Amino acid sequence: MKMKASQIGIGIVCFVMAFAITLQIKSVKWSAANQSDMSQRISTLQEELKAEKEKSEALYQTVIQYKDELETFKQEAAQSSDVSKALAKQLERLELLAGVSEVEGPGIVITLKDAAKAANNDDIVHDMDLFSIINELRAAGAEAISINGDRVVNTTEIRCVGPVVSVNGNRHASPFEICAIGDATTLESAVNFPGGPLEMMRLYNIEITVKKMNKVKIGAYTGNINFQHATPAVKED
Amino acid sequence: MLFVILSLVLGVLLALLLPGYIPPTYTPYVAIAILAGLDSVFGGASAVINNQFQLKVFLSGFIGNVVLAALLTYIGNLLDVDIYLAFVIVFGTRILQNFTIIRRYLLNRHYSFHPLQKPKEEGDSPS
Repeated sequence: MKMKASQIGIGIVCFVMAFAITLQIKSVKWSAANQSDMSQRISTLQEELKAEKEKSEALYQTVIQYKDELETFKQEAAQSSDVSKALAKQLERLELLAGVSEVEGPGIVITLKDAAKAANNDDIVHDMDLFSIINELRAAGAEAISINGDRVVNTTEIRCVGPVVSVNGNRHASPFEICAIGDATTLESAVNFPGGPLEMMRLYNIEITVKKMNKVKIGAYTGNINFQHATPAVKED
Repeated sequence: MLFVILSLVLGVLLALLLPGYIPPTYTPYVAIAILAGLDSVFGGASAVINNQFQLKVFLSGFIGNVVLAALLTYIGNLLDVDIYLAFVIVFGTRILQNFTIIRRYLLNRHYSFHPLQKPKEEGDSPS
């Protein structure tokens, strides 16, 4: 069949067009299928996350239950003999110092709130601000301190994590409430003195209130303390 | 005529059987290139009807349009300007115009006036 060059040219072009269109349709369908895979993965992960959260909530409840039982045993043990009474008293005193029991007493409550119109990074509360306040409180003799309900113990970290602050592994956002038990007047002047941490923060429009209270209640430390490296030192004579 | 249909079918079959895919990053460029190719094909058909078809013009137009459309779309991507829109509108318009011409010819050729003269026998004019 004698074909003219034009016919061949048109034929080749038609071949290329048909090929390209079919391949394109195939590719678009394939990439659409791929993307729906990804959204399926996301929903699977979300389900797993929900299940894990529920599990950890249940475990937390169990821990609280065990702590209550332990408390009952302690009470019973304290009644049985003089030795155990003395031990129970010692235990109670150590718990108080360690921060694993609820305490109350006179003190102050400080609230810190990010500037209403936070223009830049300086207008919000940072971990270092909380740190310097706690430093002053301790120097002024604070015996128990908590941030937004999280008890500050000697292993507590206070760290900026993105837009929030992590205390004892729990995330807290503005407003921050710092409760401290100690001599209320001393504590108040310790944080309010000119050049102190609160004055600096007031310059940056952070909203601060300081209240002296006759009775401040501070909760116990709710986490687990497990020393893996430090052991009681052996006494050398 | 038969050759054209054959090449169409062959193109479709080959693309279906081939295991590869166009990478998703390139699909927008291939899409606009397909539009450019379609415009060229319709333009070619319209030229055949008007007996003005020249293979050189057709082939150069096809390749040139495809390359130009893809290239300008890519540049538009870099510049964050939707240049491809121009091609979509222009090619779409030309396809519809040429389609009108084709349609008129196909509808009218069973009536008295036959505008398509016998095409030249010896292939197309050289150079």
